[in-house]
Amino acid sequence: MGTHEGDYDSGRLYGDLQDGPPQAGDRARNVVRNLGELLITAGMIVLLFVVYELYITDLFSAGKQREATAALDDEWQHQPGADVVEGGERTNKIELEDGKGFAKLYIPKFGADFHFTVLEGTSDKTLESGPGHYKGTALPGEHGNFAIAGHRVGKGAPFNDLDLLKSCDAVVIETSTSWFTYRMLPVESEARRWESVKTKSPRCERVNKLGAEYNKVYGRDIVAPSQGGVISPVPYATPGTKPGVALLTLTTCHPKFSDEQRLIVHLVLTDQEAKNPAAPNQLPAALSEND
Amino acid sequence: MYGWIWRKLPGPLGVRITLATVLALGVIALLLFVVFPWLEPKLWFNNVTTEQ
Repeated sequence: MGTHEGDYDSGRLYGDLQDGPPQAGDRARNVVRNLGELLITAGMIVLLFVVYELYITDLFSAGKQREATAALDDEWQHQPGADVVEGGERTNKIELEDGKGFAKLYIPKFGADFHFTVLEGTSDKTLESGPGHYKGTALPGEHGNFAIAGHRVGKGAPFNDLDLLKSCDAVVIETSTSWFTYRMLPVESEARRWESVKTKSPRCERVNKLGAEYNKVYGRDIVAPSQGGVISPVPYATPGTKPGVALLTLTTCHPKFSDEQRLIVHLVLTDQEAKNPAAPNQLPAALSEND
Repeated sequence: MYGWIWRKLPGPLGVRITLATVLALGVIALLLFVVFPWLEPKLWFNNVTTEQ
């Protein structure tokens, strides 16, 4: 880059070149200079990519998430269909359309403003708009495993702090007509003496030990990406095992900034209530647990 | 490289600075809105799902 002002218009190559014909050293200097500039440019591009991944994708995703939420709100306002789940069986199916929102997810521990619209499917494109429901897994409230994937870094990063959830913390799912409260299962170190641990918090009241077929299911788990069993109706069990409870499973990448492993959080359904159309501001109690 | 570009820019200093800024912003916009969105899905570290 020329530095000596006034040289630009005189047709000289660079400000620091002396008068006279080009020397053999000038050529080498030129090559080194250009190489240096290229390397600096490459470095800047990589840095810009990091900025893009961490911040710019958040902006793009926030817009898409807003659109998905607006579309869902609109739909709920216009066709509040019956959405009744009894004994783990849904009597009326939620309409699922690829890439479209169908439920809202709240994690009160992450703050009152933490809510995302959950979309159907787990393609890259869908996950840019928000957390995605693994196709074919259970729906909210159903017996089986309602499984959701979400980004940990960038793209809105819905599951950035998933590792901070503790056993009995709530994740609330809202559908067009119901609220479902799921609570995190005991982690491995608590599971053995759960009966004594659970008495420490009233939130744990309905988080009970699950049946024998669930003996490998803990609140938090870190698995290899190939472990598809985490989203089975009964996680890690042999296929065909009949689910006895309604689970919610959240998956994201682990550790942060890597896709080496997956962080898995399993929760169990503890409460469900139908929305009261006469009192739309009546919210489940779990939504106000913000610590 | 940058010296060459600078010398190709026409006009007085003010115009050149403006042009150079516009060029730089254009390149950044091209990277952010076209190149990176295209490149990103081809990279490996953004997978959050398990295999089904």
